[in-house]
Amino acid sequence: MSGPPQGEQPEQAQRVADDAPGQGPVAASRLRSAKSWSPSRAAALALLLGAIVTAGFALTTLALYRSSENRLLDLRAREVGSVLTAVVPSIQTPLASAAELADATRGDKQKFRAFMAPYVGAGKQFVSASLWPLGQTRARPSTIMGARPVLTTHPQRAAALFARAGSSTSMGVIGVLDGPDPSLGFEFATPGVKHGFAVYAESPLPKDRRSKLAGNSAFSDLDYVLYLGHSQNTAKLLLTSVKLPVEGRRASQTVPFGDSAFTLVVTPRGPLDGSFFADLPWLVAIIGALVSLAAALMTGRLARRRQHAERLTVILDRTAAENHRLYTEQRSIAQTLQHALLPDEVPDTNALQVRASYVPASSGIDVGGDWYDFVNVDDDRMLLLVGDVSGHGLPAATTMAALRHAALAYAAEEPRPARVLERLQAFVNREPHRYFATVLCALIDAGAHELTIASAGHMAPLLAVDGEASFVEIDAGVPIGVAGGASYAERKIQVSPHSTLIAFTDGLVERRKEVLDVGLGRLRDAVEGTRLPLGDLLSKLVGELYTQDHHDDTAIVGIRWRD
Amino acid sequence: MAGLGNHGAELSIEAQREPGGAPVLALAGELDISSAPSLEAAVEGVVAERPELLVFELSELEFMDSAGIAVLIGASRQVGAVKLRNPSPIVRRVLELTGLVKVLQVEP
Repeated sequence: MSGPPQGEQPEQAQRVADDAPGQGPVAASRLRSAKSWSPSRAAALALLLGAIVTAGFALTTLALYRSSENRLLDLRAREVGSVLTAVVPSIQTPLASAAELADATRGDKQKFRAFMAPYVGAGKQFVSASLWPLGQTRARPSTIMGARPVLTTHPQRAAALFARAGSSTSMGVIGVLDGPDPSLGFEFATPGVKHGFAVYAESPLPKDRRSKLAGNSAFSDLDYVLYLGHSQNTAKLLLTSVKLPVEGRRASQTVPFGDSAFTLVVTPRGPLDGSFFADLPWLVAIIGALVSLAAALMTGRLARRRQHAERLTVILDRTAAENHRLYTEQRSIAQTLQHALLPDEVPDTNALQVRASYVPASSGIDVGGDWYDFVNVDDDRMLLLVGDVSGHGLPAATTMAALRHAALAYAAEEPRPARVLERLQAFVNREPHRYFATVLCALIDAGAHELTIASAGHMAPLLAVDGEASFVEIDAGVPIGVAGGASYAERKIQVSPHSTLIAFTDGLVERRKEVLDVGLGRLRDAVEGTRLPLGDLLSKLVGELYTQDHHDDTAIVGIRWRD
Repeated sequence: MAGLGNHGAELSIEAQREPGGAPVLALAGELDISSAPSLEAAVEGVVAERPELLVFELSELEFMDSAGIAVLIGASRQVGAVKLRNPSPIVRRVLELTGLVKVLQVEP
């Protein structure tokens, strides 16, 4: 009959394995978030946003500019209208005065000529001035100054004009008189005078009606079109500075002129508010586009950096997880090796029940130096070895392996505990070394209920029966590997039926800043009063005595007499 | 006796000399797996002069584990004799349980 050694190792392995998957979801979520961030998409988004904002600004600027220009144009049109209004009296007043003079002097030619002389002639206000007696059956001028009136070539229009002369207080304006010298005619007669006179004057018009304003004029920024009458009728076009029809923005103004009116149309020759404001919408658009482009590039760059950083994080996470896994694996390998070095079967017999357990240190990947071995001497007797090599890591494990094999050989050859220790001591002291080992060697006679024990610096085992427990009193010799300990004492004791022997290494009882006896007492108290199955007892001892942060590994062996 | 000790145990070592000329290492604090290497180095410095006797003054040593014992054993292999002076009860018990009281001189 045999059973596997009791071990805490699977639980340990499970605990460390649980830590590793924790890294997984974190890394995965970061990977997902990294995928959702495309630098080109972010840049395009930034560009689109910039374009929208820029377009908004540019359009607003344009609208403001246009509204401002329209307002300015209206203002300029009114200004030109005022100038025109101021011109009207300069035409009407001489005519009205001359008409009164003619009425008073009964059409005196000399006086009329003398009065009108300053106004008539080349480069003056009128090219022609004439005096027309009213109430005649046929309208004919009595006196003519300057050029012959064009009106005389239009007898019907002349008749119509003078028929209504004197009926109103306003100056009569006769439309454009076509001919070799197109002219504009004005008539004035003092109302309410019988046999009165009408004064008639003409001003020449350019043949193509084209006229430019002087470059230094206050209105040099405007083009204009001037019509006679209340509408923009090209047949009544008086003057224009621009080729008709007028395109683009324009404003019109109507100014009363005698019994007719001037209709003025102005259009800007350039931006009225200066070219800066005209260019402002474009300026805004260009700057906005540049800023958007820069923002897009920056966004793309930042997004790429972020993506890079996230990838790096994922890689670091993976590396950390991998390191953790490797560490766990290495630790697990070390523990597996350690466990593999220990007997995988304990020699349960008809007479003896045997359980053993090895608990690795909670930290570090080093292999411990604790071990146990069983040697079947004959049907009744079994030799137990429990040892603890000082130090840790591979050297300790190597020393342990060498000691174990030597001890097994000596035990098989000469199954006497003291002799086994003495020969081990001699074996180890043959060569200089830095390590030493405590070893407990016990010969268990199942049939005779006898126990023979020797110790090389190892702690004495606990013997329990019927709920009572006490440490076997042995005279410990020096550890294996310490010079001077050439011989070991043996102690042989009789054990009661159903006794339980608990052998262990110091990891089970040693605690910092504590006298060893306290730890030993704790072990004894834990065993006393219990009647647990052997396996359960070992589990209980490991569970109760082994501190959470144990920095030492430990081995524990339980042997129980079945009768 | 395996495992990495990660306690920050402080051990102070003071090299002195007996009136008779024997070197003395006075230990204070805790001698465990993390502080043992520094004592090992101190021992190596002292044994270089091959003294007949090396004294460890242990009255201020509060704790010692198997790693400390290994250093003491190592020292005993290199000099004629090692004397452990004034060990505390904790330290003395470790010496007794490991049988070292038989090979090392412990006083009182």
